[in-house]
Amino acid sequence: MAAGTRLARTLPYAIVGAAACYLYYIAMNFEFHRRAGTLGPDFWPKAILALLIATCAYEIGRRVFSRSPHKEVGGVLEELVEASAETHGNMGGTAAAESHPWLLAAGMALTALYVFSIQTLGFTLATATYLALFITLGGYRRWGVIAATSVLGTLLLLFFFMKVVYVSLPIGEAPFSAVTLFLMQVMGIR
Amino acid sequence: MDGTLQQLAVGFGHVFEPVNLMFLVIGIVLGLLVAVLPGLTLVMGVVLALPFTYNMHVIPAIILLTAMYVSGTYAGAWTSILFRVPGEPIDVPLLWDGYPMARKGDAAQALGWTLVSALAGGLVAATVMVLLAKPVAKIALTFSTPEYFAILFFGLASVVSLGGASLANSLISLFAGLLIATVGVDDTYGAHRFTFGVPLLSDGIDYLVVMVGAYGLGEVFLRLEQGFKSAPLEAVKEIKTRLPSLSEIWSRKMTFVRGSLAGIIIGLVPGAGATVASFLSYGIESQYGKRRKEMGTGIAEGIIAPQTAATASVGGAIIPLVTMGIPGSGATAIILGAFLLHGLQPGPQVFATSSNIIYAMFASVFVGIIIMCVIGYFATKYMVKVLEFPEVIVSAYVVMCCILGAFAARNNLTDVWLLVIFGVIGYLFERFRFPVTPLVLGVILGPLAESAFMTTMISFGNDWTIFFSRPISGTLMAVAIFTLIYPVIRHMRHQRKTLKSSK
Repeated sequence: MAAGTRLARTLPYAIVGAAACYLYYIAMNFEFHRRAGTLGPDFWPKAILALLIATCAYEIGRRVFSRSPHKEVGGVLEELVEASAETHGNMGGTAAAESHPWLLAAGMALTALYVFSIQTLGFTLATATYLALFITLGGYRRWGVIAATSVLGTLLLLFFFMKVVYVSLPIGEAPFSAVTLFLMQVMGIR
Repeated sequence: MDGTLQQLAVGFGHVFEPVNLMFLVIGIVLGLLVAVLPGLTLVMGVVLALPFTYNMHVIPAIILLTAMYVSGTYAGAWTSILFRVPGEPIDVPLLWDGYPMARKGDAAQALGWTLVSALAGGLVAATVMVLLAKPVAKIALTFSTPEYFAILFFGLASVVSLGGASLANSLISLFAGLLIATVGVDDTYGAHRFTFGVPLLSDGIDYLVVMVGAYGLGEVFLRLEQGFKSAPLEAVKEIKTRLPSLSEIWSRKMTFVRGSLAGIIIGLVPGAGATVASFLSYGIESQYGKRRKEMGTGIAEGIIAPQTAATASVGGAIIPLVTMGIPGSGATAIILGAFLLHGLQPGPQVFATSSNIIYAMFASVFVGIIIMCVIGYFATKYMVKVLEFPEVIVSAYVVMCCILGAFAARNNLTDVWLLVIFGVIGYLFERFRFPVTPLVLGVILGPLAESAFMTTMISFGNDWTIFFSRPISGTLMAVAIFTLIYPVIRHMRHQRKTLKSSK
């Protein structure tokens, strides 16, 4: 295996290990009054972090120095699945899954933007817009269905959560709040 | 025993109240739909239903979630058998004999065997659950903190070693979960741990946010990356269920027994849910069954074994949940969440304090399995039609339910931001093959494990050997350590065999 590939495979473990080291440093500086003869509140997190760092170090070492780094110890279920796949070959999967990193990035950004804007736009406007954009982003192109599902879905969610479950959803800031307030009035939500 | 039957009768009384019965039917239908719908798994379905129970009374809430859990282990079989599309990993073993059976023109018979298997496995496990729960709770009452820690340690060890990923990745996932659980103000010393000056973090990170984010949002992100492409469905002429005759069932009684036992035992072990039960039961049947050589060619035994075990695992998993407050799977963790939301702490005392709720839950499993089979018999044809529903629309609503679920818990947008962060973490975990279940169970069981460990240390003068010197905790610790090293031993043996054969 090429050195570059080996290094790339160790990257997630290196990142997790580095983060664990940083958190261990933070845990060493927890502020509390130590009582004699007792373990402090830092003991448990530090023990977990030490185990986490050790696991990451082991995995990095194995991936860098082992002759067969792809041969790893699997859980019982993984071995059962592998053994079954060898026997039956039919796991119900189709062709290898496609990858659309830009679609993913756009979806994540859209979700973050939704959470960011909900305080200003209010639940109704933000949700209807988000649903329509998410469905379009996912490749669906029947505009009538998109409009219906996003608008009617938003109204249903608004009604259920505010009228039935009594969750106080964000109404937004003026002038956007007028839309949610109007709908609340129509639905009889106080 | 008399007391148990009487309390179970009271439980049935609760279940047959119109409102509770309505929620039971809703739960069954939702569970069946979730199992059929692409992009939704059993655990995700139960997670998404949780916010809708915030304002409900505890009994209908528990009945709704339990009903979803039960039926979620069944309906995925339909799409496996008819279209070679397993709803989730539980249903993969059903492909191997169910689909060939359907290709031979016996789809109705395959669906019939699935129904009978779910019914038998579910009812046997439910009976065992009722019989075992009280004695187990009585034993648990005698436990002290070292025993509790040992049980939790065993649970966490089995989550890691029974999982479907590499041992190292499962361990990292578990440690991450345990670490997330330490965020907030420590109960004993009042020390701020990993709060980074954010006030909301002082209250800790709600495990529901982690769960909804990692299971729900993470899965949607993963599917979005794959482009929401569903496989085209095969045309099936007629969808109906033909029940096997009693003599056909009787001639396969041992397959039912093996499947039910495997499901109950696997269900009892924390961390091993319906998927392990389903695969393991198929494996047992392939080794010990009367028709083991014909497995995979489209025989009834290949359907009975995984389906019986999958549904039987539900009854098994409920036992540690109600008797010790230890959820063994993602779905039972959410049911535990529902209990806690309503101010109820499952554990050995629960039979003394809230037996009506527990027996209503038990009764709902019995009634739920029967209703599920009735609906399955008559409505398979209509329910599989939801497979044609656009996955992207389902996913958009999954995101909405996740966001609303996180927001409704504390009416705080910071929780929603945490949800998005855990959604991204869940996606990254899936993408780099770190299992999500150890992370979630680490977050849930972490505070219990820390509390049991610290209390033991205070009570026994920081003597850690106490975990090994007491008979029950020592045995449990030994079993847990063996569970952890078993995959390593297996791996080494396999490597040695491969080396020998290559020589």
